[in-house]
Amino acid sequence: MPDMNEQPQKYVILTHALNREFKVRQKTEGLAASIRNFFAPDYKTVNAVNQLEMQIGQGEIVGFLGPNGAGKTTTLKMLSGLLVPTSGTIEVLGHTPFSRNHNFLRSISLVMGQKQNLWWDLPPIETFAIHRRIYGLSDQEYNERIRELVEMLEIADCLETQTRKLSLGQRMRCELAVSLLHQPKILFLDEPTIGLDILMQKKIRNFLLDYHRRFKPAILLTSHYMDDVAALAQRVIVIDHGTKVFDGYLSDLTHKLHPEKIVSVVLNNGEFACKPEEGCRLIHQDGQHYRFLVERNRVPEIAAKLYATGNIADLTIEDPPLEDLIGQLFKSETRNS
Amino acid sequence: MNIFAASGKLEVLAAYFKIILTYRGMLLIHGLRLLLLPMVLASAWLSIEKTPGNPYGDSDYLLYYLLVPLIMNLTDSRIVFKFSLAVKDGSLNRDLLKPFPPLLGYLLESIANNALQLVYLIPFSFAFWLFVRDRIVLTHLQPSLLLFFLIAIIVGWLARLVVSGSIALFSFWIEDVTTLNLVLNGGIWALLGGMIVPVATFPEKIRYIAGLLPYRYMLSFPIEIFSGRLSTAEIYQGFVTAIMWIVLFSVIMRIIWKSGLKTYTAYGG
Repeated sequence: MPDMNEQPQKYVILTHALNREFKVRQKTEGLAASIRNFFAPDYKTVNAVNQLEMQIGQGEIVGFLGPNGAGKTTTLKMLSGLLVPTSGTIEVLGHTPFSRNHNFLRSISLVMGQKQNLWWDLPPIETFAIHRRIYGLSDQEYNERIRELVEMLEIADCLETQTRKLSLGQRMRCELAVSLLHQPKILFLDEPTIGLDILMQKKIRNFLLDYHRRFKPAILLTSHYMDDVAALAQRVIVIDHGTKVFDGYLSDLTHKLHPEKIVSVVLNNGEFACKPEEGCRLIHQDGQHYRFLVERNRVPEIAAKLYATGNIADLTIEDPPLEDLIGQLFKSETRNS
Repeated sequence: MNIFAASGKLEVLAAYFKIILTYRGMLLIHGLRLLLLPMVLASAWLSIEKTPGNPYGDSDYLLYYLLVPLIMNLTDSRIVFKFSLAVKDGSLNRDLLKPFPPLLGYLLESIANNALQLVYLIPFSFAFWLFVRDRIVLTHLQPSLLLFFLIAIIVGWLARLVVSGSIALFSFWIEDVTTLNLVLNGGIWALLGGMIVPVATFPEKIRYIAGLLPYRYMLSFPIEIFSGRLSTAEIYQGFVTAIMWIVLFSVIMRIIWKSGLKTYTAYGG
């Protein structure tokens, strides 16, 4: 666990030695193999989640990262009570998720794609009305929350259209609205912006930030869009092949994997030489546009040097793209294993 | 899973009514499905020569097949198709994550569906009755018989729901339960339930077996009551047998549900 959790705090999600295995049927190519497999099926046991330890505090936003098949969705399903672990323990808000206690279900929401909560054949407003009763909301609570969510998500114009006829973006926003109507204490988000255009992704991210600021639910988020993670989560848990490979601040992950920053500079004219012994190396040059990798502790020095030339049209200093970092992490884990 | 204490039952029931009303074409198609086969069978039974031992005359067949579509509809259940689809497309997840008993939705859907089919079936049956009323004898109908008839419909509906539900829950393990349903439920139900042949016209041994199995109570039994063919003792005996099946299959359903959920892998990875 990262340092941030060493201080006493109330954990809303706790897992210990969590495992989930799946039996997967195997078959080699060909008719003979099919016949053999018919009489004697061959199964392989896949360890989708392996000895996972997870502690998430109240109101935390945690990015849950990993390549396809790493076990992220399986973990979310176990935490929300959809799947039973093969072994290990889970405690979410003091409940064992798989017992599906109604008090537990009233305290969580899982958003997994755009077809999770909305009634496909009815307009979203009908789903909201059903949820209102199922979750036992008073008229006042319902009216206030609907007003807030409709306003924050800008969905007033699609409330009365049949859900199946809504665009992906509209559906996703309505999906979020219905998932949040009962103000869950924990929100599991599995790829909430998948398939959406950049503008819509940003809208959803801003909404989630705004919502979190106001209501402080714990959020566990998986996303392949690193912009989502960078914008929403300070802390990330990275898993690969079901095993946790990193748990900590996003900035720590960046420092650990990439002790350098990217300095991009556009010169008005002339050249700029960068020496490896100064902790700087050129990675790209296109005319007057240079990109250097600079050791983090040498960045101020190099930047000062650049400014001193009095020849700078533009200068940016940034961390390497999160995608690259995560990719690098998975590669190193694969090599180690 | 307390289905009586769950909040939102009426709203979910209303939602199913709204969905069915959205798809008017489907409603009509299901209505036709319920009408066509009994009409064909009625025509067949009326046109063939009856054997001497057959207790049914033309008027009995007419009344029987006048009621078959109505009872078939009122005891109908599509849980096999709906539940297996929910397992396959992952929409079962939605139900599992709500503080609402997941299987209650299928019961409410069945109520909505069966009630709305009456929109087509009652006018059709009434028109059919007007056409053949001179040949149908209803003088034996007493309020008590009508009450037994209504109770038998509810019992038949529950019996069909739990038998179909038990088969539906095998979707946790089997990709396609519709074939299993066709074997264990559809075929035997059509024969021993009294759809193809009225149970009362079976040879005694088969009639005895039909009386022991649950299928008769899903279709033939209410019609037999309405036709005045059963004594009060036979009616009570029928209720006891049917309720025993309902209890047995409810327990089976519960066991399969609990065990199935443990193997449920939902979708995605």
